[in-house]
Amino acid sequence: MVKTLVLQDINLSGLDLDKDKYIIFKQSQSVKPCVGCFGCWVKTPGKCVIKDSDSDFAVKMPHVEEVIIISELVFGGLSPNVKAVLDRSIGFILPFFCKVNGEMHHKQRYDKRPNLKYMLYGEKMPEAEKVTAQKLIKANATNLGADKFSVEFYNSTAELLEDLKQ
Amino acid sequence: MMKILCINGSPKSKNSSSELLINELCKMLGINNEYTTTKTMGVTKQEFLEKFEGVDVAVVVFPLYVDGIPSNLLRLLYESKDELKNINSDVVIYAISNNGFFEGKQNALALDMIKHFCEAAGVKWGQGLGIGAGGMLTVAPIGAGPLKSIGADLKTFSANINESISSDNLFTQPNFPKLLYKLGGHANWKKSAKENGLKIKDLYERR
Ligand SMILES: Cc1cc2nc3c(=O)[nH]c(=O)nc-3n(C[C@H](O)[C@H](O)[C@H](O)COP(=O)(O)O)c2cc1C
Repeated sequence: MVKTLVLQDINLSGLDLDKDKYIIFKQSQSVKPCVGCFGCWVKTPGKCVIKDSDSDFAVKMPHVEEVIIISELVFGGLSPNVKAVLDRSIGFILPFFCKVNGEMHHKQRYDKRPNLKYMLYGEKMPEAEKVTAQKLIKANATNLGADKFSVEFYNSTAELLEDLKQ
Repeated sequence: MMKILCINGSPKSKNSSSELLINELCKMLGINNEYTTTKTMGVTKQEFLEKFEGVDVAVVVFPLYVDGIPSNLLRLLYESKDELKNINSDVVIYAISNNGFFEGKQNALALDMIKHFCEAAGVKWGQGLGIGAGGMLTVAPIGAGPLKSIGADLKTFSANINESISSDNLFTQPNFPKLLYKLGGHANWKKSAKENGLKIKDLYERR
C-alpha cells in the first residue's frame, strides 16, 4: 500500500482522503523556527531537539513512499510555516558530506526515501517564480535523496483540491 | 553618505557567519555611511518594517536553509511584502547568502528568492553574493589565506553597494581544497558527538 505523507498550508478537512493511503501532517499554527544548533545531527540524531510535535516530520518521512507538499508559492519557494517544518527536518539526512554530480551534498541516513511532489498554488504566480520553484524541487530532491520528484502549479486552492480528489 | 540597514537572517543569537559577514561588509563599505542592523528572530513584522524607514540600502545576510531562505527570515519577508513600499519605496535590496556545502553557487536559488521578494514588494533589487563553506569564515581574516577569494568578491560587492549598482549575482568560496574541507567537516561532527556523550555510530541512528 502506498503511504503518502502530506505537509500542507491549507485546510484539507473537507476532503475525504483515504486514511490508509494518506497521512496528513498537522503542524502548529506558527511553527517554531530552526535555531541552527545542529542538535538533530549531533545531540538527538535524526530528530530536531525542540520538544514539540513539529519535530515529528523527519521521523515520519522514512516510513512513506511519497511526500506531498502543498504550499502557496512564495518568492519561488514554499510558505513560511511549511518551510519551518522542513528546516527542522534536516535530521532526515546525515551530517557527513558526499559528492553528487560533482557537487557537495550530505550522505543519506535512510536506504528507503520518499519521492517528492510539490503542489504549489497562487493567484498570480509570476513565471520567474515558477522557474525558481522547479529548480528548488530538483535541489531539494538531490539533498533529500528522492529518486523521483514533480511539481504542479494551481491558480487556486479549489483547483488544487479538485486535483487531489482524483 | 548612505543609510544602510543590515538584516541578520541567521536564527543564531551569536557566532553566526552572517554576523561576521555583516561586520566585514560594513568595514569595507567604509566610515562614510550610517549603519543599523536588525535580527530576524523574535522580531515582529512592525518592528522589522520600521527598520526600513529612511534607509537607502538594505542588505539581507542569511544562511542557506534547505536550498532556500530560513523560515524566521522568510516569515518576516512574507508578512512585510505588501507594506514595505508604503514605508520605503526607494530602498535598494542586496543579499548575501552563505551555505554549509563548499560551492557558493548552491546559494543561487535563495538569492533568486530574495529577488522575487523585491519584485513582489515593488522595490529595487541590487545584487546577490553567494558564499560557500560558510563555516570556514573564522579560519583566517577575510581576504587572507584561504579566504582571499571571498575577500576579493566581498570587496567587489561592497563597491557595487556604495555605487548603488545593480548587477548579476556573484558566487564564491574559499581558495582551499574541497577534500580538506570535507574531512575537516567530518572531524567536527565526530568531535561534537563526543562532546554530547554520543558514540560515532549513534550519529547514524535510524528512527
Ligand atoms: C536547517 C538547516 C538547513 C541547511 N540547509 C543547507 C543547504 O540546503 N545547503 C547548504 O549548503 N547548507 C545548508 N545549511 C548549512 C548552513 O547554511 C551553514 O551552516 C551556514 O554557514 C550557517 O550560517 P549562519 O552561521 O550565518 O547561520 C543548513 C543548515 C541548517 C541549520
